[in-house]
Amino acid sequence: MIARSSTTGRIGLRDDALSACVSCGLCLPHCPTYRATGDERRSPRGRIALMRIVESGLAEPNAEWLAAMDTCIQCRGCEPACPSGVPFGELMADTQAFNSGTRRLPLRLRLGLRVLGRPQMLRLGTRLLALAQRMGFFRSSGFLPGRLPLRLPRRPAPAEVDVVLFTGCVMDTWTPHVHDAAQRVLEATGARVGRSGTAAGCCGALHVHAGLREEARSLAHRVMAALPGDQQVLADSAGCGAMLKEYGDLLGTEEAHAFSARVADVHEWLVERLDRLTPVGGRSEPVIIQDPCHLRHVQRVDGAMRAVLAPFVPVVELDDEGLCCGAGGAFAVLQPDLAAKVRDQKVAAIDRAVARSGAAVVVSANPGCSFYLGAAGYQVRHPLEVVAEGLAATGGQEMTDGN
Amino acid sequence: MEVLGPDRVTDGSAARRLYSRDGSVIEGGRAGPVCFPETTGEVVGCVQAARAHGRAFVPRGAGTGLTGGSVPCDDPVMIVTTRMNQILEVDRGRRVAWVEPGVVNLDLAHHLAGSGLHFAPDPSSQQACTIGGNVANNSGGPHCLAYGVTSAHVAAVEVVLSDGTVVVLGEEQGDSVGLDLRGAFVGGEGTLGVATKIAVRLTQDPPKVATLLLDFVEVADAATTVSAIIAAGVLPAALELMDRRVVEAVEPFVHAGYPLDAAAVLIVELDGLPGGVAHEVGLVTRIGSQGGARTVRLAADDAERDRIWKGRKSAFGAIANIRPDYYLHDTVIPRTKLAGVLDEVYAIAERHDLLVMNVFHAGDGNLHPLLLFDSREPGVMERVLAAGEEIVRASLAAGGVLSGEHGIGLEKRRFMSLQFSPEDLAAQDALRRAFDPDGIANPLKVLPTGASCGDVNALDVVPDGVWV
Repeated sequence: MIARSSTTGRIGLRDDALSACVSCGLCLPHCPTYRATGDERRSPRGRIALMRIVESGLAEPNAEWLAAMDTCIQCRGCEPACPSGVPFGELMADTQAFNSGTRRLPLRLRLGLRVLGRPQMLRLGTRLLALAQRMGFFRSSGFLPGRLPLRLPRRPAPAEVDVVLFTGCVMDTWTPHVHDAAQRVLEATGARVGRSGTAAGCCGALHVHAGLREEARSLAHRVMAALPGDQQVLADSAGCGAMLKEYGDLLGTEEAHAFSARVADVHEWLVERLDRLTPVGGRSEPVIIQDPCHLRHVQRVDGAMRAVLAPFVPVVELDDEGLCCGAGGAFAVLQPDLAAKVRDQKVAAIDRAVARSGAAVVVSANPGCSFYLGAAGYQVRHPLEVVAEGLAATGGQEMTDGN
Repeated sequence: MEVLGPDRVTDGSAARRLYSRDGSVIEGGRAGPVCFPETTGEVVGCVQAARAHGRAFVPRGAGTGLTGGSVPCDDPVMIVTTRMNQILEVDRGRRVAWVEPGVVNLDLAHHLAGSGLHFAPDPSSQQACTIGGNVANNSGGPHCLAYGVTSAHVAAVEVVLSDGTVVVLGEEQGDSVGLDLRGAFVGGEGTLGVATKIAVRLTQDPPKVATLLLDFVEVADAATTVSAIIAAGVLPAALELMDRRVVEAVEPFVHAGYPLDAAAVLIVELDGLPGGVAHEVGLVTRIGSQGGARTVRLAADDAERDRIWKGRKSAFGAIANIRPDYYLHDTVIPRTKLAGVLDEVYAIAERHDLLVMNVFHAGDGNLHPLLLFDSREPGVMERVLAAGEEIVRASLAAGGVLSGEHGIGLEKRRFMSLQFSPEDLAAQDALRRAFDPDGIANPLKVLPTGASCGDVNALDVVPDGVWV
């Protein structure tokens, strides 16, 4: 009877983080991969039990063990569901960091992540892909937007800024219109908005997911160096925002903790300034809200997103309690079959919402979710695109003044 | 014989290891091949394959059980029902729903929301546990005080017997005609076959619900108030007690506003017609105040009510905020003896130098003392097991029974002879043999046989076995 031997620290997991799981199973229904498979090896409880075995040195990782870890989307939907507060994201990130030291990641993942960290290469590659897309060489595969932009406009930055919009990597090159909409809304509050731009570049979230912690750390240093000062740094991508807020933990320095404290999700910032946004009024079509995991489970600011949308448009809720859509950064590329099963669950929930409300538009505050649901045939927009369109002309005027 | 494709059966060492455990600390043996059937026919195939290879089989749902009921002994075929998760039919007119065994209890609740009907059993693990598991354990839940446990809400069950025969026990409509085999099957813990379809009875939603939170500075006052409420002729929909340690563990998670300085709180839920509920709210408030309640708080809206219940239903999972392991008992005692037995439970834990917390269905006297410990501490398991046995004996001495709703599983087999005579046990064994003459359906569970399952009888701390 009974279980746990003392840990020898093979993976290097925090002992009290690991022992916080009492195996009650209340996380199971909140795990998208367990939902899709019914398999304990695809559940948080199962993965933690398997981490324990390798951590305590009683077994070597084998293919089955690695598959259990690699099939985790790292959505962290299990975290708010856990009454004991198991820091599952930390455990999985540490485990994947350990794994990256014991094996070579797939070539396409390594290449892809390297490109994210190099803005010029990303822009060039995007241009080539955009051309190929227009010439009909390939169709959207789920991790690319339906139509990539061919060229990017240059924007003069104001001499002095009140807040910095974090523009990241793929969003900046693939969906620049989302940042434009976010900037319009921020400026409508009277704020002068700067952009992090290519000097800051990529936040490193996907590198952490893949276990490439050193690469993520060097990207974090670059972001922080590019954004000195004390202005708030606002993220309109849920994944980036969550990562920036965790730089303190990633780097463990006082400077990084201070930087993370400056970071807010755009909706989190806007919700304090809603009185400065005037809706144009009139009837608008309802939108279906999809909660990006890193907005709802990690940053836990999904309420702010709703509060910002509410004055502008009727919102329709999904009935799946924020279950992940399967995109998960690079997950849909690396685990396409499982990701598709997870997405099927989201598609069923969206279809129920469509049937109930007649809404035609889904809003999502994360690029990966938007591309992946877009590839499933939905019209997906960022919440702030919807808000920007609903701003009264006075708001637009202020924006022009701000520029 | 190929029953399932390679993606739905595995003998991987990680899978066999994970499927060797449930929601408790109880270890038995190792799982054999792990199967994920999706149809009744595939379950038949799994049972026949087990038989062909001379193995036993163990049905398993979400693995939230607390007594080792789905913990395997000797490399059995694991029949995991989580992929059989369809709600097949809801007949609102006849108030019956046919569901597959892997449907999660709360998913059924969500599916029925707004229809005016619900499935009454609501175990605290309802967000994860399956209806199949509820049937196997004849599960209870806070609201079973007024509405009865699972057995009262199952009309019929389609069962795959241990020889592969498919039978339907019970009737969709009316009471069972002839011998009530449905009644025998519910609570069978998988020893009588595998449920593959279940017709659950649906209960009408009450027109009015009121949830009260009473807090006390003495546990005994809370316990005495429980029997005073029922003695006054009020039968609450639910009547739960949580002691100080439980409140401290869950409040940071749910922010329900539980008073952190109370020795115990009672959650009293009243339902029915609005006039009746209003009258009972007044009555319970008066009885509570006379019984020593410091405050009586009426939940203002559904959100507050949900938070109060979320705290109650998160209690077991929140234990790690205090200690990494728990061992939970599930005895039932006469309501009138609650105060005395609770005193004993605290004294027993103290004697063994263990932390104990109490969170339970007070209205029906169903105790859930949780012994908290850290299994990495040498020698602690012996103390935990000794204290657990004393708690069971104290409950039985007070006129109670072994289990309220968690089942017997592996864990309480050794206590069965404390409650039942050899003749009683022989009668149960005869019933079991009638269903499963060869003893291959979840063997070594429920009835004491003398045979051991893995190390469960050794009562030793054993390290995790090497896998891979």
